[in-house]
Amino acid sequence: MAIDMSQFYQVFFEESAEHLAAMEALLLDLDIENPDSEQLNAIFRAAHSIKGSAGTFGFTDLSATTHILENLLDRIRKQELGLRADMVDAFLEAGDVLREMLEAHQGRGKVDQEVVDAICTRLRQLSADESVAPVAPVATQAPTPVPSAAPHVASYASELVGKRAFNIEFVPTEISAKGDGIPNLLDELRSMGELDVLSQPDADARNVGFWQLRLITDVAQEKFSEQIDFIADNGAWRVSEDKSVTGNGSSAFGFFDESPGAPEEDRGYGFFAPLDAASENASLAADDASYGFFEPLPVKAETTDMAEEGDGYGFFAPLQPQPVEPAAVMAEEGDGYGFFAPIAPPSPAIVAIEEKPVVAPLVPAPATMPAEKAAPAPARASKAASPTPAAGDSSIRVGIEKVDQLINLVGELVITQAMLLQTAERMQESAPERLINGLAQLERNTRDLQESVMSIRMMPISFVFSRFPRVVRDLSGKLGKQVELKTTGETTELDKSLIERIADPLTHLIRNSLDHGIELPDKRVAAGKSPVGTITLKAYHQGGNIVIEVGDDGAGLPRDKILAKARERGLPVSDQMTDSEVFNLIFEAGFSTADQVTDVSGRGVGMDVVRRNISAMGGRVEIESVLGIGTRMTVRLPLTLAILDGMSVAVGDQTYILPLSYVIESLQPQQGDIKSLSNQARVIQVRGEYLPVVVLHEAFGLKSSWTDFTQGIMVVIDADGTKAALFVDALVGQHQVVIKSLEANYRRVVGVSGATIMGDGHVALILDVSAIAGMAKSNMQKAG
Amino acid sequence: MEPMTYGGTAASEEEMVANEFLTFTLGSEEYAIDILKVQEIRGYEQPTLIANAPAFIKGVINLRGIIVPIVDLRIKFKLGKIEYTPFTVVIILNVARRVIGVVVDSVSDVISLNQSQIRPAPDFSGTFDTKYILGLASQDTRMMIVTDIERLMTSADMELIDAAAE
Repeated sequence: MAIDMSQFYQVFFEESAEHLAAMEALLLDLDIENPDSEQLNAIFRAAHSIKGSAGTFGFTDLSATTHILENLLDRIRKQELGLRADMVDAFLEAGDVLREMLEAHQGRGKVDQEVVDAICTRLRQLSADESVAPVAPVATQAPTPVPSAAPHVASYASELVGKRAFNIEFVPTEISAKGDGIPNLLDELRSMGELDVLSQPDADARNVGFWQLRLITDVAQEKFSEQIDFIADNGAWRVSEDKSVTGNGSSAFGFFDESPGAPEEDRGYGFFAPLDAASENASLAADDASYGFFEPLPVKAETTDMAEEGDGYGFFAPLQPQPVEPAAVMAEEGDGYGFFAPIAPPSPAIVAIEEKPVVAPLVPAPATMPAEKAAPAPARASKAASPTPAAGDSSIRVGIEKVDQLINLVGELVITQAMLLQTAERMQESAPERLINGLAQLERNTRDLQESVMSIRMMPISFVFSRFPRVVRDLSGKLGKQVELKTTGETTELDKSLIERIADPLTHLIRNSLDHGIELPDKRVAAGKSPVGTITLKAYHQGGNIVIEVGDDGAGLPRDKILAKARERGLPVSDQMTDSEVFNLIFEAGFSTADQVTDVSGRGVGMDVVRRNISAMGGRVEIESVLGIGTRMTVRLPLTLAILDGMSVAVGDQTYILPLSYVIESLQPQQGDIKSLSNQARVIQVRGEYLPVVVLHEAFGLKSSWTDFTQGIMVVIDADGTKAALFVDALVGQHQVVIKSLEANYRRVVGVSGATIMGDGHVALILDVSAIAGMAKSNMQKAG
Repeated sequence: MEPMTYGGTAASEEEMVANEFLTFTLGSEEYAIDILKVQEIRGYEQPTLIANAPAFIKGVINLRGIIVPIVDLRIKFKLGKIEYTPFTVVIILNVARRVIGVVVDSVSDVISLNQSQIRPAPDFSGTFDTKYILGLASQDTRMMIVTDIERLMTSADMELIDAAAE
């Protein structure tokens, strides 16, 4: 019954990448002097989840590295070690290494084993560093001195009591069972105390199956439960204290058996049963004998999303100080810990209240819940309320192609609906009123449907913004500058494909601001500014566009220097140029005012790429700058790549779409307006400007319905500063069109950027205005 | 990501397995193509012209929201009478993860051929390059040219793909 794990790899990769991102965000947010226990726990949970799933899928390098990382994190979390800046650095680097490993497993890039070893050694050293005395309690600790108010306190408590007996039940993963994981675990447990193997799988099952152990030890439960977790993942294990033996350790862990949510069954797979609440599939696992623990895997794919969103940030938040580790683990892994399942229903408050009377008298550890509720916890509450970016409402992970298909189908529906409407309108009076009414209703419904379907692709821009704190941190350190990054409007939504493509240009802009904009601290002080520079990142909607601003309070752009540099490079410049024209020069390829090339920027590549990428997305970049005050770069993008405001024009019997954003005006030429240059290129004078004329039917080899320019229309277009007049037969109308790729089934066509489907079901090609303006330019050059 | 993959079948077995082929005519010639590459057959509709495309590329049509280029094989191979009537047939192919429509004179039928029935084609000089021909098959008095339609459609000759394979 071998289940092919590879089908879950993708989910694992995505999840792990998310966990890494969350970890990084939290690390960057950490206040080193005064770390928030909640954040530390969240970081630990992220690392733990990666380790857990990596182990399940047999990515031992990942799980091994994370394990070391986790050990250190755990000690910090428990305040055995104080948090230091170098630790955060080490964590960040470890995160990078893990990301590389993930990519390597996905077949991209390679892992440098030396780097891995180096970071592992560093983490071990940090972890072994005993000299650091335990720090004072974490600042946000619940103020009530309830002895068991926090998890680590509970674990300390358990350490203090004498020897206790634990019943350990687990089902190892196949991978670890076949390796030497089990013997190692047994050895390790033996080293902690007295170990009895109560039951073990048949010899022919090669360690795969149900294990039951009893351990009498004075070691804290966390110490060995971690080891077990490594062997038996996905919560296919549990540890419960056997009080009948020791009797004195009743404090900390009794609730495993007695808490209201605990499964009735004491052994076997009973602990899977409560999962019914989360997913009925999981219960299958309970029926299956030796490989039962594999069954939950497919479920994992489904449940993790649900559980992950909950992930201790969401509905666990109110219980925060008490993330007795299992709670977190349960949230992350979505199965296993049956005794927590009753908490899973999405209203934490109610659960907490329900639990309160029952649990409180029973055991002190869960008593944190009532304590939490009763204690003066406003600080905590406000903490929980402040949204963590990763937190949020529930979501499902869906392949992008499914969404695209849905969008296509809805597009079809809209076209069909338009066709029906047209037909009904043609019937005029003879159309029954009910039909007309029904069609009007259909139109509204389809519009709503289209809007909501389009919104599926929309993602908050925080997906991009979240990477910049790291960029700024690393770069400002490297450059010896002090920079603060401020972001606003992270929730502004834009199309997923734009999100992916805007990341690189924005990174460039930010690096540029950091390197050229923000001055060194002493220079800033000399200029009467605060030594800490500020980079602001702002996103908002304006009209049908999304605007992203990258601003800095640095030196500003030196106009004279740019002009001088431009002259040096032989660019046509004059002192009469406006500021914005001058600033736009920095977008020229190879242009750099940097006196020296740093490894950050200054080679003159970058800004031209930024502009090219942004205009490829149908957007624009503008620069405003005041010398000595700062610079602001504004990127304007269409909301989505999928829809375009277009003007349809007729040429011969064909219809073409012109993106409306490029159209300036249209006019009917008069006799004599059009002049030819050396009998090849034609120009038209529009408002005192001579514009090259592109005759579309000539360029495309079509037959125009007109013989004379005065019968048709000139459309003046402006593509990135290049203006041209496009001669077409007629203007047809203005539409919002859904952009379809021509290249998907065909190939690139010069002068055409895509295709769309018109209301009558026919295909219309969308003109590539930049290419057409380019045609005009080259025509002129040929002529001139 | 496939949990299970089928091992290679023995050659003799393969010879016995009959594959289905769709046959169509171009002029007086009959061609057979793997039916698994055929998505559907539909009537001809006036496509949208593509500027500066070769004559045999008629343009693009809207196939339920997908933009599909239409190639007239009769023009490409200079066969048959080139006219467009309501009975003109377009075979929509699914090759190399692309959807392409080809105009042919008529679609005949679907036949089963096993490997042994497909004989290697002699080298002949024709409009059709032999590298696209898998072999010749005969049934009764008919002779069919079994064509590697995927290779043909993705070739540089057809000018359908930017970076066309040889």
